[in-house]
Amino acid sequence: MQTSNKLYKFKEELPLTSGQTLDGFELMVECYGNLNQEKNNAILLNHAFSGSHHAAGKHNGTLGWWDDFVGPNKILDTNKFFIVSANNIGSCFGSSGPISLDKNGKRYNADFPEISVKDWVQAQKLLADKLKIQTWKLVVGGSLGGMQSLQWAIDFPDMVEKVAIIAAAATVDSQNIALNEVEREVIRKDSYFYNGNYYEHGKVPTKGLKAARMLGHITYLSAQNMEQRFGRKLQDQQTKLDDTINFEVENYLQYQGGKFADVFDANSYILLTKVMDGFDPSAEYDNNLVKTFKNISAEMLIISFASDWMFPPARGKEMLKAAIKANKKCSFVEFEGAYGHDSFLYAEDNYPDTISTFLEGKL
Amino acid sequence: MILEALIQNWVPQYAKVIDLGCGDGTLLESLHQLKSINPYGVEIDQKKILSCLSKNIPVIQADIDESIRDFEGLDFDIAILASSIQCLRHPDKALSNILSIAKKCIVTVPNFAHWQCRLQLSQGKMPVTKDLPAPWYATDNIHLCTIKDFEMLCIKLGLQIDQKKYLGTASSETFLSTRFPNLFASLGVYLIGSK
Repeated sequence: MQTSNKLYKFKEELPLTSGQTLDGFELMVECYGNLNQEKNNAILLNHAFSGSHHAAGKHNGTLGWWDDFVGPNKILDTNKFFIVSANNIGSCFGSSGPISLDKNGKRYNADFPEISVKDWVQAQKLLADKLKIQTWKLVVGGSLGGMQSLQWAIDFPDMVEKVAIIAAAATVDSQNIALNEVEREVIRKDSYFYNGNYYEHGKVPTKGLKAARMLGHITYLSAQNMEQRFGRKLQDQQTKLDDTINFEVENYLQYQGGKFADVFDANSYILLTKVMDGFDPSAEYDNNLVKTFKNISAEMLIISFASDWMFPPARGKEMLKAAIKANKKCSFVEFEGAYGHDSFLYAEDNYPDTISTFLEGKL
Repeated sequence: MILEALIQNWVPQYAKVIDLGCGDGTLLESLHQLKSINPYGVEIDQKKILSCLSKNIPVIQADIDESIRDFEGLDFDIAILASSIQCLRHPDKALSNILSIAKKCIVTVPNFAHWQCRLQLSQGKMPVTKDLPAPWYATDNIHLCTIKDFEMLCIKLGLQIDQKKYLGTASSETFLSTRFPNLFASLGVYLIGSK
């Protein structure tokens, strides 16, 4: 499946939860399948922290991040459903973010306003209006995308029929925030960072960004998964990226970190980790998750992976319990997951069937 | 099926019901249709979980032995343990905990002292009956008991049996199954509350 993207421009002001305002914004969007006449077959797909709108099919030779799941006759069947996938504000893949220009033609850099998951949902609501979509058959996402899906169900209960919250939690915990802060610090301390105004100096803090991603990447894998893939295997002399490298796992992280630093923006990295840290839908509801879930009318599915140490099953169950207490229809399914937190990306075990059965109500 | 009809009678309209070991969700589905209950199934087997989802019955993947207390404080009216108590590693703990998650509990117990079981044992074989259908090598049952055993456990745990029905092999009460349950009831069905 070849896919193409489209840039949607919004002239209206977007009031942000921080109290600031975005004076117009843009969303880079990919859609798959066709919206039917009744406009009742739309699915909203939310990407994770460093993901993009490119979820399925091939674009410039690259497969989308959830291509296993999205396409003709796949889990989210594009013959039946119209699937919308938008790059979030603050990211760096085409939607408004630190690398975009403001109204005066000046690059935002570090001055891009503080963003929240709630702001993303508001922006997507305006996108839905533009696409003439009044209800989502399903809102689904993994990790930060799962949190965004939850926020949708809370903020626009009448628009969400079903919500699938995968490898996510109702907040990130202190350890997550701590790790994110180390990642941010590593970026800030790159001598090319210049307080975020690196483009003005004709530099890019790729070293800091690479190191930050290397740390982040470890948190997406599980200890067991790393042991199986790399163990203590030594890196082949010829393919070493660097003379200091001894082990395969080092080479792998260097490679992944480098690849990421070439395409991602350092200010976006800092901003998006802050979005994650700040996510707390219960803040509006006296910090009471049960109260927060009271408004939800969507049927909920929560999926956790046992090997995920960022958002382990206990965090999924925390949402489940609040949903049950609030008398919501909520299912919870747990998989071992061979890839730690990243397991949500792979169509393994009964995980894909669980989503399709939840969506379509049949086996 | 009379068992389901019986359970339906004990479940109030709109009740919040958790079925521990809900299987493919059939019981919850029929309770939902007849009593408009708010159903939650608990199941460990992922194939059965998919069956529940296909029936649009909310289902929670969990091991009953380990997780009953996870469901405390969630305001269930009724908890159901239908023919699963004998599969648990700690049936006594499960029974004493179950009333901390729901106001009432419905338990069904296959009777290992039913005359057919006794007869097959007297012939030197492990019983295979309507309520104990699997051969010994393929059964999930690890803590089988008799009607008498179960009721003695309830007394020991201070649980009050509000209602009980003794069903014969035709899934209905008979003169003999009610008169001599430990010999003629194939299944005991109980509505339990705490004293």
